[in-house]
Amino acid sequence: MKQLKLLALIIIPLGIIIAAMPADKVNHSRLTPGELLQEAGSGVQFISPDIVADMLVRKDPSLRLIDVRTPEEFETYSLPGSINVPLSNLLSEEFSDILNQDAYTNVFYSNGSVYANQAWMITRQLGYENNFVLEGGLNYWFGNILSPESPSQTSPDEEFARYDFRKSAAAALGGGGVVSTDAASPSPKAVKPPVTAKSKKKPSGGC
Amino acid sequence: MGPLAPNEIISENTNFLLAFFIGIAFGWVLESSGFSSSRKLAGIFYGYDAVVLKVFFTAAITAMLGLLFMSAFGWIDLTLVYVNPTYLTSAIVGGVVMGAGFIMGGFCPGTSFCGAAIGKIDAMVFIGGLFIGVYGFAFTYGWWEKLYLARYLGEPKISDKLGLSDGLFGLFMILVALGMFVVAEWAEKKFPREEY
Repeated sequence: MKQLKLLALIIIPLGIIIAAMPADKVNHSRLTPGELLQEAGSGVQFISPDIVADMLVRKDPSLRLIDVRTPEEFETYSLPGSINVPLSNLLSEEFSDILNQDAYTNVFYSNGSVYANQAWMITRQLGYENNFVLEGGLNYWFGNILSPESPSQTSPDEEFARYDFRKSAAAALGGGGVVSTDAASPSPKAVKPPVTAKSKKKPSGGC
Repeated sequence: MGPLAPNEIISENTNFLLAFFIGIAFGWVLESSGFSSSRKLAGIFYGYDAVVLKVFFTAAITAMLGLLFMSAFGWIDLTLVYVNPTYLTSAIVGGVVMGAGFIMGGFCPGTSFCGAAIGKIDAMVFIGGLFIGVYGFAFTYGWWEKLYLARYLGEPKISDKLGLSDGLFGLFMILVALGMFVVAEWAEKKFPREEY
């Protein structure tokens, strides 16, 4: 009986502590600052504009573009089909269903990639999955997807293929009117495959 | 961070090696708690010895608290921890068959190996019966398949069904376990048995 009392003295307080913890804290592990830094530094959050353009042209239903700029900027110009979640309202209750879900591929974008990256960092820290950042933001989108620069004669075939793809994507997405004047603009980056979270093996077997 | 093997922090082989050592430790604890005696195991059904209930419930509560706290600290991702899928019909039928075998044989699969390891003849006979059952089921699987796979529920959690948080349900389980321990100790006094 003495042992039982000792056991009760240990496990009941532990049970009360765990019961008093918020449920989401018990269920979802948050990233430590170190893990977040590592993830942010490795660039897994970026999704290449070519992939987004391809998804847009194919009208991929899983793509959801999220404009994190201000509503005024969103009114002036936004990518087709995108929704506005201003960065300052990111944590508001009405957007939590949009940001915390596993059905869509959410792609944050801003003019550059700084604000979109901030939005990604905050949602990642909250434990949300399936959120990505449009690499280069709208600036890169305008300069390279909607008004692609024709590659030089000596460029490898893949650059021509990318140029052709971007030209047709631009036509489909209502771009192409902007004339590129700056010859020194950065050369297009290599097409990256879509970035998805590292798949984890489901273990099998029991006792 | 965890679980270690699904997150590929340790390899599958290291996982088996760790399982080997944990298994030996488990057997040692079983043996030193007296689980290699079928009289001790049968005692739970007659009330004179409730050590089975106490050890297994303490183990379950310890593991539950450990997992919940490690999850809260962010050390383990509980969504990656393997949970046996529930086939309701076979769980009930299997529970009845296993329970009957437990009373008649005085062992459960783990403790029978524990008993055999220290040379108990009845445990070895029990293991023989266990293999007959395993092979018998495997070779006649076609007859049972419908029953075996009936009423598949996925991986349900009682806390989800009740709408409770995992932590609150954990506290509830602790109180249930302590209540059972009190009843078990009362039963041990009520139905004492000398010399077993």
